[in-house]
Amino acid sequence: MSTPLNKQPFDLGKTAYLGLNLLLLAFLLAPIAIVLVFALNPTPYISFPPVGVTLRWFVKFFETGDFMRSLWLSLWIAACVLVLSVVIGGACALALARGHLPGRAFLTAFFMSPLMLPAILTGLALFQSYLLSGIGRPVWGLIMAHTLIAVPYVLRTTLAVLHNFDRRIEEAASVLGASPVRVFFEVTLPLIQPGVFAGGVFAFIVSFDQFPVSLFLVVPKGETLPVVLFNYMKFDLDGAIAAASMVSILLALAVVLVLERLIGLKAYVKL
Amino acid sequence: MTTRHPFSRRGLLRTSAGLAAAASFGAPSILHAETKTLKITTWGGKWGDIMKATVLPAFEKEHGCTVSADQAFPFVPKLQVSPKNDPLYDVLHTNSNEQWLAVVDGLVMDKITAKEVPNVADVYPYAVSDKIVGVSIFTSAIGLGYRTDKDITPPKSWKDLADPKLAGARGGYLIPVNSLGQCHLMMLGKIYGKGLQDLDAAYKALEQLKPIKLVDFTGQMEKMLLSAEVVEGVIHDSGVYRYEGANRQPVDFCSPSEGVMALEQVLNVAPGSKVKELAFAYIDYMLRPDVQKLLAEGVWYSPANKKVKLEAKYDAKLLTTPEKVATLIQPDWKWYNARKDDIDARVTKILKG
Amino acid sequence: MTLFNRMTSAAIKLQQVTKSFDGKVVAVDDVTLDIKAGEFFSLLGPSGCGKTTSLRMIAGFEMPDSGRVHVGGQDITDVPVHRRDMGMVFQSYALFPHRTVAENVAFGLRMRDVSKPEIAKRVAAALAQVALTGLEERKPAQLSGGQQQRVALARALVIEPRVLLCDEPLGALDRKLRQQMQFELKELQQRLGVTLVFVTHDQEEALAMSDRIAVMNRGRVEQVGAPTEIYERPRTRFVADFIGEINLLEDGPHPRALRPEKIRLVPAAEARLKGTVETANFLGGATLYRVNAGGRAYLARETHSGERSPRAAGDAVGLAWNDTDVVSLES
Ligand SMILES: Nc1ncnc2c1ncn2[C@@H]1O[C@H](COP(=O)(O)OP(=O)(O)OP(=O)(O)O)[C@@H](O)[C@H]1O
Ligand SMILES: [Mg+2]
Repeated sequence: MSTPLNKQPFDLGKTAYLGLNLLLLAFLLAPIAIVLVFALNPTPYISFPPVGVTLRWFVKFFETGDFMRSLWLSLWIAACVLVLSVVIGGACALALARGHLPGRAFLTAFFMSPLMLPAILTGLALFQSYLLSGIGRPVWGLIMAHTLIAVPYVLRTTLAVLHNFDRRIEEAASVLGASPVRVFFEVTLPLIQPGVFAGGVFAFIVSFDQFPVSLFLVVPKGETLPVVLFNYMKFDLDGAIAAASMVSILLALAVVLVLERLIGLKAYVKL
Repeated sequence: MTTRHPFSRRGLLRTSAGLAAAASFGAPSILHAETKTLKITTWGGKWGDIMKATVLPAFEKEHGCTVSADQAFPFVPKLQVSPKNDPLYDVLHTNSNEQWLAVVDGLVMDKITAKEVPNVADVYPYAVSDKIVGVSIFTSAIGLGYRTDKDITPPKSWKDLADPKLAGARGGYLIPVNSLGQCHLMMLGKIYGKGLQDLDAAYKALEQLKPIKLVDFTGQMEKMLLSAEVVEGVIHDSGVYRYEGANRQPVDFCSPSEGVMALEQVLNVAPGSKVKELAFAYIDYMLRPDVQKLLAEGVWYSPANKKVKLEAKYDAKLLTTPEKVATLIQPDWKWYNARKDDIDARVTKILKG
Repeated sequence: MTLFNRMTSAAIKLQQVTKSFDGKVVAVDDVTLDIKAGEFFSLLGPSGCGKTTSLRMIAGFEMPDSGRVHVGGQDITDVPVHRRDMGMVFQSYALFPHRTVAENVAFGLRMRDVSKPEIAKRVAAALAQVALTGLEERKPAQLSGGQQQRVALARALVIEPRVLLCDEPLGALDRKLRQQMQFELKELQQRLGVTLVFVTHDQEEALAMSDRIAVMNRGRVEQVGAPTEIYERPRTRFVADFIGEINLLEDGPHPRALRPEKIRLVPAAEARLKGTVETANFLGGATLYRVNAGGRAYLARETHSGERSPRAAGDAVGLAWNDTDVVSLES
């Protein structure tokens, strides 16, 4: 342990492993780096090498009413979707794993099916049925649509945790005097929480980044950020797009970190 | 954000009141005392800014209505899915090719005449020609944009794009998704073959243009020229003219001698619209000389109304005289759309290799 | 306070309890048991014989199809698990992985709304009892198997249950630790006087620890009795065979059984049967011989007191036993 680094023999395997990891990291971060360069470059087009550093695109992003309105709307929708999909997905997962439901495999596949369908079709189908049923396109319709897509993520992560769940732990609690409700809140929930929460983070990001489903369901002046960015891009392809992307990435990251702080992402060793 | 609270009590009350009314009269309820709403589509970017800041508020005030302007694509599929007797849009604003798609399904009207829209009497013939459904309120000219600082001879003909020196530095569009690319393909048929519909000649000519940089959004070509990734490419005039004055960039536009292709801004009305009169009034308004001037000078589009007088610098470059308008070539989108799938397959194969 | 209070323990009665799963497998078949208050009572039998199911019916996790369960003279068949006031130790320990050792032990007290200072006091006492003082803040994953076992025990006992149920609690421990825990558990049970129902498939463990044992087979109780009784007076062929080595003599109308240690190896003159040694297994304190006599094999165990007189495979030996040591079996 205390041998100085320079005395350690050269370990090919270890070096290769480190190299591979660095390569993967670069691969994952390169697109973000490119976006950042574009966002800070003063020219209104992608030029390499960059000719300078400016914050004008960020200023433009924050000063454009459409961007700000859609950013808040997207955040608000994503927050609602997170809560809804955690509740619905978590409850569905518990029912599927615990309830002695007939046709469980079918039901699981059914709940997962929004993932199988191209999202653009889901959006189009919902758009059509909303219009035909006279609902129109209210914000809650959009939230429901996002939730539909997000629930499978929560369902999947929660089912994975429940699959490895030792039910004796719940039995131990009940024999110690915990009523079924207390067992749920004292034992079941804390233990499946990492799975539910991981799914919730997915749900948030899926909603925040959602384009195909939103495409048909947004109304004029009620567009979400991805839709606004897409339309913006058709007319003005400048650094504001990149600035918006950077802000989105940072916001998503911040939300994940805050939730992590609040709820805790760590999985338990013995489940 | 606070304006649209999904579960507001009043919203619920209104919904249930509406349902009750609908149930008791057995017919779609018309709740009066509400101002009429005109639902339109419109572009974003600078155009959208002018519309939102000036053009639409003025129209709303004039007609005591509200305008709900959708800037989120895709317009035609959305219109297609909505009920015909209660369409999502009253006025559809698209380029010409999409109007032709929409008219096939009866989503928009065939023709708009001076009877419904008086200002149509003052438009250039192209704006209501047999190549147009609805009425074109502006047009751009599709020609060649080029860098003035890269030591190339300024192009004069569409054929100049094939100059071997431009290999890899010429720009075009992904033909399946971009109507400028589609126009260019037809133009290739005309200059290298028997006419706009000579696809075989067009395919052969396209093959000769490789290697070529392709973009999908129209706006991207502008950026490619600005960054000099493309030295010469197919583009609409407004995408080059707007870089003038303080925004001056080393780019220029050429109207090739063989003629320019028309990129029309078309307005049309959905037959099922509940506010048809208002829809026609809106189109008439958009054709009014003062509105035409404002938008034309704002985004460098050539106005369709003959009576519009632009400032000298715009007048010099845009298509504002019958002679200049005569250089416009209008593609037959009905013909093109009918073959689009075959063409897409073919050009994808050509450009992939 | 370093010791638990001596507990008020309760008697347990199973009355003709039957339980089947999926309408097919009869896991427990008409079982009647009378477990006395304060008794160390073992359920012993091979895998799948219904031990766990019986225990789970006492705990309330399973509902009998028919029959009643009484604890402390009270019919608790319909009382839900969390109101039964029992302690239970699972084979896998089933500790709460997201809670510390102290929190694990405190759980049952919290459920009973015991005051905070009282909880702290009793948790400390319980942990001292199982020699885990100092590990309060560890998470279960940071403990060894034996330590986890003790946490489970402390958690079950801290609520001073009337009855302690243990389902193979020592099954996951290595042999040495297991023996040590056997002593500790037995000692603790005696000190507290709690009624302990102990499930095991290890007959040595059952014999060593229990006041009484119920031997189960295919969902039924074959015999209930003190360890010596079970060992020396097995009632059925199954019991005789399951507990230790046995010689089955099937020469009469009923099968009869004879323990290997009751067979003496003697000179030919004194022998009932003459045979030859087939194998000789040295067991440390004794040797187990397999002797072929008259075409069948007999097991004879000879303890080594003083001089050993080793015999090897192939040696001719005589076998002798007392008739009083032969047990008649029911079937
Ligand atoms: N939940 C269940 N569903 C279906 N069958 C079950 C269930 N629990 C137990 N069984 C069956 O009931 C029978 C008795 O099981 P039990 O667990 O009581 O046996 P055991 O004596 O504890 O065995 P082991 O020593 O292997 O733990 C077995 O055949 C078992 O397969
Ligand atoms: Mg068992």
